[in-house]
Amino acid sequence: MAEDMEKLYNERLERYVTAMNNEKPDKVPIRPFVAEFVAKYAGYTCQEVTHDFNLAFDAVQKFAKDFDVDAVVGNMVYVWTGMTEANSTKYYRVPGIDLEADESFQYIEPQDEDVAHMRADEYDALIDDPTAFLANVWMPRIMKDSSKGDYRSNLAWLKGGIAMMQYFAGFGVQGEALKNGSGTVSAIAGALKAPCDILADKLRGYRQLSADFFRRPDKVIAACEALRPHMMYNAYATADPTKTVPITVWLHRGCAPFMSYQAYEKFYWPTLKQIIIDLFEMGWQVLFYAEGDWDKNLKYTAELPDRSIIYHVDRGDIFEVHKAVGDKFCLSGGIPNDLLTYGTPDDVRAICKKIIDGVAKDGGYIMDAGAIVQQDAKIENVRAMVEFTREYGVY
Amino acid sequence: MPEEKIEKKPGVCIPWEEKNKEYEDIKGDKELVKKVWEDIDNMAYIYIWFCLIAA
Repeated sequence: MAEDMEKLYNERLERYVTAMNNEKPDKVPIRPFVAEFVAKYAGYTCQEVTHDFNLAFDAVQKFAKDFDVDAVVGNMVYVWTGMTEANSTKYYRVPGIDLEADESFQYIEPQDEDVAHMRADEYDALIDDPTAFLANVWMPRIMKDSSKGDYRSNLAWLKGGIAMMQYFAGFGVQGEALKNGSGTVSAIAGALKAPCDILADKLRGYRQLSADFFRRPDKVIAACEALRPHMMYNAYATADPTKTVPITVWLHRGCAPFMSYQAYEKFYWPTLKQIIIDLFEMGWQVLFYAEGDWDKNLKYTAELPDRSIIYHVDRGDIFEVHKAVGDKFCLSGGIPNDLLTYGTPDDVRAICKKIIDGVAKDGGYIMDAGAIVQQDAKIENVRAMVEFTREYGVY
Repeated sequence: MPEEKIEKKPGVCIPWEEKNKEYEDIKGDKELVKKVWEDIDNMAYIYIWFCLIAA
């Protein structure tokens, strides 16, 4: 690595880590979670970056070279549909196949009991042996070819596994390319979801799970407990071994109006809280990516140890969040995505100034949009967010 | 008498203890066989759970 690039990388890493520890770095770190936006910027279609991860990596590298950001995700288009097509996954609508080439991929959640990926009477099988349940019941059910039990089925399993290994190896190379090519830090590592979100998203479906809260609450609690050690293991097995960058938990259905506070307290929060505490005791921070408005859940989040999470604000009120937990945790995000799409660069500069003045004064803040940035965001608006923060966000 | 069930810990699809019962006798380095079995078994585990969590 060139000496000046190494210096730049180290400065950015220190800035990022200092802020995540809720301390004051030299400047406000910038860590935009740019997803399909990088396709638009680099001149690719959504199909190209979703179906060929090398093109996605290339697009992220172009973005990182041209925008003065401290950290990015190696590929924020998080589903590689090359892999999901190889193992014949049913539940995605793929750009360029099912959708127009410039639309982003879609997840199709089963909406009824008869098509749920896990049936109501299968809780005990999941609880008894989660890995066997996934291999014997869930995987065959979510794969188009696996139900056939033939040549296509056997190959779908084989090709899916090979694809995953290829993708994982690619991420290692991408991390080095970002470091050496633009001095950019790879922002996160590790795969983590809340056990209750796994039940809602991929196993029962949200509608079915909502009924289960009343019809079989003990089974839901036991299932969350059975999933917890596996969520934990997968998080740290795929995390940054140096424990420098955080593991992200992508939070989906825990906030209102998806879930009442009673349901959150009873089903969602206990296992999620324990996972975060256990990971923190092992030396990892968790990026608490609170999709939607989680302000009403802040009293629970405040129970976590100081600096155990970086609290990411999507549609919540970042100023209220700062008042409530700003002394405990670094915050990130808060720039409304609709402003990046429909606003002007002046609008973006104004909200960046308001957030830096109101939230970042004592450090402990990382600039980012509220949610991942997709192809609808205007390039000039993302540029305004980055350039204004770099210029104004100096301590 | 039913065979005792071997618990699968996180990170494991087919525990070595279960696989080892299938070998009559390992004549060479048993630890080597165990290590390679567990390493590849772990990749299978990661694949199944990666599909659930992140794909």
